[in-house]
Amino acid sequence: MARFRYLGRKVAWLAITLYGVVTFNFVLFHVLPGNPVRLLARSGHLTPQAVAAITKVYGLNHPLIVQYAIYLGDLLRGQLGLSYTYREPVGTLLGQYLGNTVLLLAGATLLTIVLGVLFGVIAANRRGGRYDSLTVTTSVIGWSLPTFWTGLILVFLLGVWLHAFPIFGSQTPNAVYTSPWLRYEDIAAHLFLPTLTLVIVNIAQFVLVARASVIEVLAEDFMLTARAKGLARRRILWRHAVRNAMLPIVTSSALLVGLVVSGAIEVETVFSWPGMGLLVYNSVLNRDYPVIEGAFLVFAIVVLLVNFASDLLYQVLDPRVREA
Amino acid sequence: MLVGISRRDLLKRASLLAMAVPGLATVLDACASAVPTAKAKILRVGWTIEPDTMNPLTTYSTEAVEVLQLIYDQLMHYDLDLKPQPGLATSWTYSPDGKSITYTLRSATWHDGKPFTSADAKFTFDLIKSTKTSAYYQWVTSMVSTEAPNATTLVLHFSQPQAFNPGLAVPIIPQHIWTGMDATKIQKFVNSHPVGTGPYKFVNWIKGTSIEVERNESWWGTKPAAAKVSWTLFQNEDVMAQSLKTGSVDICPEIPPTIWRGLSSAPNLKTVSLPSFSFHHIGINVSDNPKSGGNPLLKDRNVRLALSYAVDRQQLVNVALAGLGTPGSALLPAGFGEWHLDIPESQQFNANPAKAEALLTAAGYIDRNGSGVRTSKGGKPLSFRLIAIQSTSVDVAAAQLFRNACAKVGIQLKLTLLDANSLGNTVYNAQAPNWDIFVWGWDAGVYDPDYMLGIPLCNQIGANNDVYYCNRHYDQLYNEQSVTIDHAARLALVHQAQQYYYDDAAYIIMWYQDKLQGYRTDTWQGWQPVNGGMVLNFTRDNYLKVRPA
Repeated sequence: MARFRYLGRKVAWLAITLYGVVTFNFVLFHVLPGNPVRLLARSGHLTPQAVAAITKVYGLNHPLIVQYAIYLGDLLRGQLGLSYTYREPVGTLLGQYLGNTVLLLAGATLLTIVLGVLFGVIAANRRGGRYDSLTVTTSVIGWSLPTFWTGLILVFLLGVWLHAFPIFGSQTPNAVYTSPWLRYEDIAAHLFLPTLTLVIVNIAQFVLVARASVIEVLAEDFMLTARAKGLARRRILWRHAVRNAMLPIVTSSALLVGLVVSGAIEVETVFSWPGMGLLVYNSVLNRDYPVIEGAFLVFAIVVLLVNFASDLLYQVLDPRVREA
Repeated sequence: MLVGISRRDLLKRASLLAMAVPGLATVLDACASAVPTAKAKILRVGWTIEPDTMNPLTTYSTEAVEVLQLIYDQLMHYDLDLKPQPGLATSWTYSPDGKSITYTLRSATWHDGKPFTSADAKFTFDLIKSTKTSAYYQWVTSMVSTEAPNATTLVLHFSQPQAFNPGLAVPIIPQHIWTGMDATKIQKFVNSHPVGTGPYKFVNWIKGTSIEVERNESWWGTKPAAAKVSWTLFQNEDVMAQSLKTGSVDICPEIPPTIWRGLSSAPNLKTVSLPSFSFHHIGINVSDNPKSGGNPLLKDRNVRLALSYAVDRQQLVNVALAGLGTPGSALLPAGFGEWHLDIPESQQFNANPAKAEALLTAAGYIDRNGSGVRTSKGGKPLSFRLIAIQSTSVDVAAAQLFRNACAKVGIQLKLTLLDANSLGNTVYNAQAPNWDIFVWGWDAGVYDPDYMLGIPLCNQIGANNDVYYCNRHYDQLYNEQSVTIDHAARLALVHQAQQYYYDDAAYIIMWYQDKLQGYRTDTWQGWQPVNGGMVLNFTRDNYLKVRPA
């Protein structure tokens, strides 16, 4: 019963937050000055009749509050509006870019978490040693670097000087592949630098959190018990200590998703990776408000859902949350 | 938690990025990633602007039209001399009063195998007329009816004679696909797989990456040599130029001046500089709107003339444009050939600071307080706000030169840089235009004087008219030329209109910039230079006529 009430409360908060995000998004982009019809038509030679007709098609002839009601109604029916630039439903448009972003972000997130935890746990295990200080220092330096700058430096070092990796796009322009494997190889090569950038700037939080919480757990009494039972050192570390240190790591993972999503905008811009981040960047330059609204909504939903999932995961991992 | 990014932050970072990236250019030369391709079967174009949509009735982008003109035929097309040649129409005749045009159509087949008939052509014009939202609507505003008396004849009736033949602009779309759509449906129609009658069939558009078309083997004309044409999108001009060098694209239709100069010595590569249909200008707010925030002193023609005389257009070209252009004068760029009004240098309001000072002094603008800035009889200083687009470096350089030149004749300009959209919104705030002087440019939408001459019309206030100029005599000259079919008579009117607008000095046309292009000589040959560019122009013939090298 208590578990359902907990779940209900969480879902309610999720809905309220989402509504807040939607409204904020709408207001933010509709109070900005500028005539969207002018943006729609760019440099077209438009007759006044054409301007009136376009205004009507986009519902811009209604007062703001009515536009808001229409926007909410469309959202409930799963419609995000029409892009000013591409004149295509925003949902369809985002779908075309989403795949590339998921490819990049999923890989980067997974690598960041796995490598970060691995380095952190080893550092905790060798606390005070040379490996420990090297890992901590390196990851903190990475954490302090701006994402776009790190990307540019990698472009210089690995792309331009060493010719090791392509620096632009998701595939070599006009390449002719003799087998699908060559194509995957090409895409993987293009993925390397943006992924590396995201890992470098985000890994520190996992190294530090994993290290700190493992150190804390290692000092607990049951660790002594485990050792007294004669368990192998490696088994104590990975099965007993790490498992108990998971809670803060799950929290960090949820937070990381937010960071990676915003980092994607910069990384995709630097590497011209045709994903949602690049779409958002170009849409900001083009003032394509429906696309920005839609993309931010998707980002917000992803972040909220991941946080929601981590809350639920808490219940599984920590019985104390269940009872609260 | 909301995503942690603020717009200002993003833009700040973006501008840092923009500063850092040009530095890459020199180093990028070392970065080669040539791809071996089968010998010249695909014609590969590289550019940095993505088309907006594959829907020919809702597109406003030059890049989309560039792709669509190979997919959709028009009734008529421009050849490599920019003269009309047959398209879907094999011939066309005007009625004696010039109000009706009769097109004789050829037999052709849509890409999906259905036959093309005059009903499709009639449907296209009717649809554009009834929905009103297309950019092509401007060519049918005075169209009153259409007729398709038989399968190979189309007749368009207008309420007044048509100097510009709309057959040269409107892509013909298939009735069996578009039938039943209203304006709203058309706006939302993505046309993800366009079906036309043209020389190429649509293959795919990978957003943010590339567009590809393949040869239509059953096209009515002489088959082009390229089995496929692809347009690759680059987010960065340096990378684009590099790809041209290493051979992963064959032609780049728009290259910035600094990069273009750097390409001239590369092997197997030819760079060309062609007259364009574009100009950049200084626009002066002459709005009569009582809510206009523009400085009223600018409505005095003497002040505008002084601004015009103060600046040396040759210097603007040399410094801001690195010499890659022609000093500007009349509204129609020199690329338009005979339509362009050649104003003798002695009659131009150009590079004559002494004349500017004399004009101002005669009109009562004198430096009354020794500050270096002249004031009017009523004590108002000749001090104006000047705005330009931050990211358009040629405009920024020009604005600075203009400001310095004006300071020398006693006019103070305060320069503010804005991003392109903010400037557009400021200038085009038709309810209350609150600005004095701006710098930006125009590109002709069509190879006809009509488009650019139409910018300063009274009825374009709220649309294209960027300086809120409104003059009945000018409107009359424009209207007359647009209904004059006799070439010599129309030419005279077009020249008169340009002279009239020039004399009123609401525009200071700085230059007609060149179109800078580059292509590989080892993949395709036979590129014909044309005013406006070999590709990305009003003619599609270079795509159809190049041969493997």
